[in-house]
Amino acid sequence: MENRIDSPIHPAPSRPQLPTESLLRLLQLTSPTLPVGAYTYSEGLETLVQQQQLTTAEALERWLGLELSHGAIRLEAAVIFQGMQAIAQGAPATLQYWNDWLSALRETREMREQSWQMGRSLHRLLHTLEPASAEMLEACGEHCNFAIAFAIAAQHWQIDAQTAVLGYLQSWVSNLVTAGVRLIPLGQTTGQQILLNLSPILEETTIAAQALNPDAFYACGCGVAIASMNHETLYSRLFRS
Amino acid sequence: MPQPSSNAPLPLAASSFHSSGQPDASPIDRKPWHGSLELTYTRQPQQTQLARCFVQSPMKVQRPFYPEGEVCHTVTLHTAGGIVGGDRLSTRLHLQPQTHALLTSATAGKLYRSNGLDAHQQLQVRLEAGACLEWLPQEVIAFNGAEFRQDTYVELAEDALWMGWELVRLGRTARGEQFLSGNWRSRTQIWQNGRLVWVDPQHIQGGSERLHHPHGLGGCPVMGSFAIVGQDVSAELMAQARDAWHSRTSPPDTPADAGVTQLMGGMLCRYRGFSTLEARRWFVAVWHLARLALCDRPACPPRVW
Repeated sequence: MENRIDSPIHPAPSRPQLPTESLLRLLQLTSPTLPVGAYTYSEGLETLVQQQQLTTAEALERWLGLELSHGAIRLEAAVIFQGMQAIAQGAPATLQYWNDWLSALRETREMREQSWQMGRSLHRLLHTLEPASAEMLEACGEHCNFAIAFAIAAQHWQIDAQTAVLGYLQSWVSNLVTAGVRLIPLGQTTGQQILLNLSPILEETTIAAQALNPDAFYACGCGVAIASMNHETLYSRLFRS
Repeated sequence: MPQPSSNAPLPLAASSFHSSGQPDASPIDRKPWHGSLELTYTRQPQQTQLARCFVQSPMKVQRPFYPEGEVCHTVTLHTAGGIVGGDRLSTRLHLQPQTHALLTSATAGKLYRSNGLDAHQQLQVRLEAGACLEWLPQEVIAFNGAEFRQDTYVELAEDALWMGWELVRLGRTARGEQFLSGNWRSRTQIWQNGRLVWVDPQHIQGGSERLHHPHGLGGCPVMGSFAIVGQDVSAELMAQARDAWHSRTSPPDTPADAGVTQLMGGMLCRYRGFSTLEARRWFVAVWHLARLALCDRPACPPRVW
């Protein structure tokens, strides 16, 4: 059967269908034009640049690579998988647990406020655009983390979980590369090169996050936490705190 | 060190590696311990009383003392001298309403090179309404090759207060030792009124790039965290905690980083640097400020420090 040659009287096999709808939704969700204000945050990079701890393209790339492979963003990716599964199973209480867990995980006030603010913006948008997602949105209570709102949107729009997480991480890293390009500063082409170079880590992190058991949810990012803490009191800031 | 005359009802079994004059030798040939400690504190009219105390070797506890009247100071001991692979240690603390206890350890903790098994330590704390626990252990030294995991689970009632710190040195750096292999994992979860308010899952992997890269420890062998959770902390207290860091006096050859931030109903101080003494001095200063602000009493350092 597998090796059957198509009879010449049958037309050529139809073209593989593009996942048009889910792909377009993912592009919309991960686009810098999504009005959630991701570009207003530097996640500690502004402190590091001001303190001359991060001054080159190579340093920015390695910093972001380590955050992806071992930092809190990896756990966020893992929680998106958990969240999408909870939604698919119609388990709002589980989704709420993961939302609370993310709020509790935020090591600094600034990072917690960022996640809540971006989550609130996406939450409002979904309420208007996709009223059918209301049950899951309400499960999150007062403070919906951005990763959870993203999981609700991705599940609602039937985006495959791996693709959704890959898109989430790509969008996260694009924002921070843009922040680094502005702060250090670096050329736009250099920024694009960093994004290309980080592709394998994006893929590895997505695969690792999917396989990660909640018992193994650990992170290492003492430097990020301290940089973010000190951003709160930085004398002059381009990025929000 | 504890004063044996008044506060050590139990003989401190000096560990063999200390008395043998071979501090390098880790007692990995000994059998693993499954030790536990269960303490219950109740409120008496004048003071907090240690009403129930269950100990299982190698965990021990000294007779409590009351240097400041009301607060029950309790010193725990680990009589095996340190933790080896296969050890399972469990501590359960229950503070009944309106109690106030301060716990510390008699000596620095040691996590020895693993014999292939991992060591696991568990701390479970339940604080009832208005109770306050100060969990202020001395630092822990993770020897190269240690495989260690700890889980801390704290349940707070309304108005209960947790003040807890942790100081870890990776490798016996005074001997030039680095943390080249092994793992140190710690997960803290704090719940209040059934809601998760702080989770801190930390993993340090021996020999990894994260030990040296500024994203992780930036080459610092010492890291410390001091969390105050259960009550809202004012911006003023956080500013004072930052000032206490910036006004410290430390040798210039120990460049350290630190930060202070707000938690949901609390605050967090983080340190990475080279000196447990420097970290501890800062934490003690913050502890003093927090006690004044939240408990209306100055710090009263336990006598074993």
